[in-house]
Amino acid sequence: MDAIIARDLTKTFHTIARRPGFVGGLKSLVAPARIAKTAVDGVSFSVREGELLALLGPNGAGKSTTIKMLTGILVPTSGSVHVAGIEPHRDRERNARTIGAVFGQRTQLWWDLPARDSLAILRDIFGVEAEEYRRRLSEFDDLLGLSEFWDTRIRHLSLGQRVRCDLAAALIHDPKIVFLDEPTIGMDVVVKEQVREFLRHQVERRGRAVVLTTHDMTEVNRLAERIVLINHGRLFFDGSLTELRSRFGATWQVHVTLADAPAEVAVPGLRVLRHDGPRVAFGPGEGATTTHEALRLIIERYAISDLTIEENDLEDVMREAYLHREQVTA
Amino acid sequence: MSVAQWRVARVTPLGEFAQPARITGTAVRLAAQVFLVVCLWRSLYSQVETSAGLAREQAVTYAVLAVLALQIRGLDRSASRDTMLQHIQEGTVLYWFVRPIPPRRYYLVRAVGDQLYGFAWVIVGYAICLAAGAVKPPASGGAAAAFAVSLLLAQIIMYQLLLAVDLVCFWTLQNNAALTILRFLQNLLSGVIAPLWFFPDWFLTMSSVLPFRYTLDVPLSLYIGRSAVGEAPRLLAIQLLWCVLLAGLTRLMWRKAAGVVTVQGG
Ligand SMILES: Nc1ncnc2c1ncn2[C@@H]1O[C@H](COP(=O)(O)OP(=O)(O)OP(=O)(O)O)[C@@H](O)[C@H]1O
Ligand SMILES: [Mg+2]
Repeated sequence: MDAIIARDLTKTFHTIARRPGFVGGLKSLVAPARIAKTAVDGVSFSVREGELLALLGPNGAGKSTTIKMLTGILVPTSGSVHVAGIEPHRDRERNARTIGAVFGQRTQLWWDLPARDSLAILRDIFGVEAEEYRRRLSEFDDLLGLSEFWDTRIRHLSLGQRVRCDLAAALIHDPKIVFLDEPTIGMDVVVKEQVREFLRHQVERRGRAVVLTTHDMTEVNRLAERIVLINHGRLFFDGSLTELRSRFGATWQVHVTLADAPAEVAVPGLRVLRHDGPRVAFGPGEGATTTHEALRLIIERYAISDLTIEENDLEDVMREAYLHREQVTA
Repeated sequence: MSVAQWRVARVTPLGEFAQPARITGTAVRLAAQVFLVVCLWRSLYSQVETSAGLAREQAVTYAVLAVLALQIRGLDRSASRDTMLQHIQEGTVLYWFVRPIPPRRYYLVRAVGDQLYGFAWVIVGYAICLAAGAVKPPASGGAAAAFAVSLLLAQIIMYQLLLAVDLVCFWTLQNNAALTILRFLQNLLSGVIAPLWFFPDWFLTMSSVLPFRYTLDVPLSLYIGRSAVGEAPRLLAIQLLWCVLLAGLTRLMWRKAAGVVTVQGG
């Protein structure tokens, strides 16, 4: 079943242009120039239960704005959203019980309270049973190691510790659907892995639908089954990681060492990039092939003693994708 | 709204208990303020028995109670990064919209918690001042009853005024200037700076048509017997009217605010 359905989602912000300088400031005061900025422009997609979707795009693409509409914080200018059958901005209270949200740069915890007190306040707000609350808290502690610092006041926590508390806070009421806007911001590699494990657990074991934004490609690699790319507010890719690679990251190299050293090397469909004695580097030729297929073609023709595959890493693929989109819109 | 959600009221007191230094600070500040106010008013009255129709002990009681009553206005939460202005500027206000308690109620429950916490201070402070003779007991039993009701209504008016100014942030994304003006008007027109009878007549007339007087001066005047118990029904009725008017206004503002909420980028 679809947990989230967004159709033609659009958000236009109206701001007042501030002209530079003192005179400009006065002009803005007397005759304010209103400018419209379309941050999200006709975005449609859906997310199933137990699916993790990574919402990616360059800075200012409209990811956070999209998440704010999906969580009911912002009212869409046009288009529709349904989250667990509810229109979030029309029924914020009921919506709040089915979703959890973390905005990594902002905390929902109370600055002067120890993390555990903050979580207890949220327990009261959501009306979580005492027994259930204890159970969830110990589960979160096992996965995120919260007890090391949950008696510390939020203001004294490090960024990574605080965001872990925020993750626990967002899930304390067992929401079916979770929105995470840059949840791993400022975390070290060990904690990042811990959080990824936590998220995987939430998706695979608990069957939650998760929408995640991040700029960390390792995370995307490890977590995302499905990727939605947006740029300038428009969706331009919705598919799996493999599809993304084949569309924007076709540049791979297969380095092989041949058992003998033939003078001529040729494989139909592949391009020979370098040929140096027994060492040969192949790249994709005419009908762009996958590395998988390339290997088959090479092995059919030559006996090889060693082999390495060099694929573009995801960062390159992503750069390619973002730039590609720039050209299309230009 | 569920009973458990009322427990949210404990946020501010919990934060205070977590930092004993703050509690000591409040106690010292309050003691110093009361002491100075008593000295000031006693010396002002050193030559005369009554001034502006107010006897010495009445004036001192009024001034001390005004200092104490400021406590129930609620603590300044800016050190805890917990004012409406800060939540809107930092964007943390967005979490208010993803909880099963409407922002309007959440704000109310927090304010009730803060004011009850302040009220505990007032009770303790009042008991000490009464024992030390810095304040006199209420003018009469009737005055005490009228004072209690009037003080409750005064709190409601105060709450609505502060809320209205806070809500302005949703549109302007700042309210520093408005808050400063409100605080000044509140202190001047409600009698914190000096009992209103020391001001010229036009000033009294002006303050009678504004809500500020009804947040402090009216209950205190009933307490010291400057306003007769017979006047209480009229004064309470005006207070009630302000409560209703301001409640209507803030309700409207909340409804609009929920529609315009724009959270800064990020
Ligand atoms: N409240 C607002 N008023 C006006 N413009 C806004 C507002 N919020 C966002 N924008 C604009 O909308 C666009 C999209 O912003 P958004 O925060 O959604 O980007 P993002 O994809 O989350 O970027 P990042 O990766 O940097 O977090 C930006 O150009 C931003 O300037
Ligand atoms: Mg963002």
